[in-house]
Amino acid sequence: MAGDHRSRKSGTDDRTDDATPDRSPPTTAVRGTDLVVAYGDTSDPVIDGESIDIPTDEVTALIGPNGSGKSTLLKGLAHRLEPDRGTVLLDGRAVDSFGTKALARKLGLLSQENVAPEGISVADLVERGRYPHCGFFDSLSDTDHAAVDDAIRLAGIDHLRERDVGSLSGGQEQLVWIAMALAQDTDVVLLDEPTTFLDPHHQLEVMQIVETLRDESDTTVVLVLHDIGQAARYADHVVALKDGAVYARGPPESIVTPALLADVFEIEATVVETEHGPRIVPLDPIHDDST
Amino acid sequence: MAKGLDELAERSAVGRDWYVTSKLAALALCSLGILLLATLLQVSFGAYPLTLGEAWATVFDPAILLNGDVWHAFLLGGDTPEWFTRRQLVVWNIRLPRILVGVLVGANLAVSGAIFQIVTRNELASPYILGVSDGAGLVVLLTLTAFSGLLPLLPVLAAAGGGAAFLLVYVIAWKNGTSPVRLVLAGVVVGTVFGSVQRALFFFIDNLGVVMSAQTWLSGSLLGTDWAQVRIALPFTVLAMLLAFAVTRELDVLLLGEETAESLGMPVEKVRFAVAGIAILSTAAAIAVAGLVGFVGLIVPHMVRNIVGSDSRRLLAGCLFLGPTLLVGADVGARLALSPIQLPVGIITGLVGGPYFLYLMRKKEKLGEV
Repeated sequence: MAGDHRSRKSGTDDRTDDATPDRSPPTTAVRGTDLVVAYGDTSDPVIDGESIDIPTDEVTALIGPNGSGKSTLLKGLAHRLEPDRGTVLLDGRAVDSFGTKALARKLGLLSQENVAPEGISVADLVERGRYPHCGFFDSLSDTDHAAVDDAIRLAGIDHLRERDVGSLSGGQEQLVWIAMALAQDTDVVLLDEPTTFLDPHHQLEVMQIVETLRDESDTTVVLVLHDIGQAARYADHVVALKDGAVYARGPPESIVTPALLADVFEIEATVVETEHGPRIVPLDPIHDDST
Repeated sequence: MAKGLDELAERSAVGRDWYVTSKLAALALCSLGILLLATLLQVSFGAYPLTLGEAWATVFDPAILLNGDVWHAFLLGGDTPEWFTRRQLVVWNIRLPRILVGVLVGANLAVSGAIFQIVTRNELASPYILGVSDGAGLVVLLTLTAFSGLLPLLPVLAAAGGGAAFLLVYVIAWKNGTSPVRLVLAGVVVGTVFGSVQRALFFFIDNLGVVMSAQTWLSGSLLGTDWAQVRIALPFTVLAMLLAFAVTRELDVLLLGEETAESLGMPVEKVRFAVAGIAILSTAAAIAVAGLVGFVGLIVPHMVRNIVGSDSRRLLAGCLFLGPTLLVGADVGARLALSPIQLPVGIITGLVGGPYFLYLMRKKEKLGEV
């Protein structure tokens, strides 16, 4: 997990005035072009002809209402759903040209809901993340053990190491799953709704892990978020989806506006500029007949 | 400070590892102890009774244990040495091979049950869940009724029938890939149809002896097994066990669910089919020599998981010890309880298995998912 520690402005999380202070212009880690993604052969495509660029070593948040295609887009990018049309390039190379394990060494995807097997310890579960790095007859190497230790430390679950996963709270368990995805040690990490169903404390824990990942291990992070405020505060880029199409993309300040919230989420809201970025105050749902 | 914490964490990691391994070791030792006891009981009682001391002396007779020629005759086929006494003949040619077959059958059923519980992510899965038992049963009935000329090939045919049914289940379940639920449902479909045909075939049998042998087959029995059955089952058992232990890491990842396994770069469909194939090989070896012994493949992985957790290598290792013990122990009851009538061992395993599940149902709130 070693890498250049980028010198971000320390001691503050105020990024609203200057989102990329001292970085060279971002390159593209993952590029999806004209993607058409559907579940199965027969159903209508959920994503119909969209293109998306994920900038390297930055945090990109996908936001949008239920059913807008966020998870589907994520699965399309991870090659978990084969797009009917269009291409996905990872570091300039088509994802379908990677072997499954080779792809899993470069790109990790943590699904929305995960069920841990009965009677497995935290350390053992995190260790499973090393699967793509191990040959068929290899046992775990020192590198593997080091990666597991790093992931556990980064996720802040050192104290839970020997606990049975079944005995943890929902928030703690989510941190363990994130640690497993981190042990995979990929350049790109895709997280599908990592904070949904968590209490505020664990939501913040997750978002801090995401920040640390970007700042200290040069990892590209894409996450689906339901909390627009979180997206505004932590993401470098926000992509807003509506009905399977990219409605808008850009830095949080330009995306999180009352007009967009009304169009995409069908809510009336005010956006207050604070020192921690834009803050959303939802007021009323907008009904179809009133628009 | 941080270093101290690291050391502490490392020590507790080693501690937990040691704790679980010691539980596995205790399980293995207890299993071996009970297996030894069951073996001595099985060897000493019967129409030609021996004392436990005589049984021990004959089983651990160095003149036989260390004799290459004798083992050559046992394992590769051939005549029993002429210098065998009557007691040695009874022990080594009749009673011990039956125990050995029991060991092989128990190990196969327990390990394949553990694998199927992982593949289907359901702890109520058994080796027979994907139609294997019904395929084998149908072939047995067909052979007994319509093709009695093929009777000598019955073990092989039954195993092949089981394998064919498994493939059929896969074909039915396949639609852009499979899923545990689809596989289990397809298993139910094939099982229902094959089971009906099998029961219908009973009405075409007019010979009570054939009905009896069919029933014995379907219940699972070690009656009359000898070295020939050991020779059939041993190579496939060894092969299946080697393969099973080679894929334990795949099993561990498969247990996390399809989505996670795919994210970790596993070609889930291929691995699932391969792993199920290993379990089918194992099940077929058991069916070929003992018929359809029930419940062993269901309860043994369950008991082992409760003791050593769900780490696949430990789980399979535990099954390898407990499976034979349970089967041989049950066979002691099957052979001696109502002597001189011998029951099929499958009846005893069912009688033991039912109450165990009742106990489990009362004790655990969440039953079903592994």
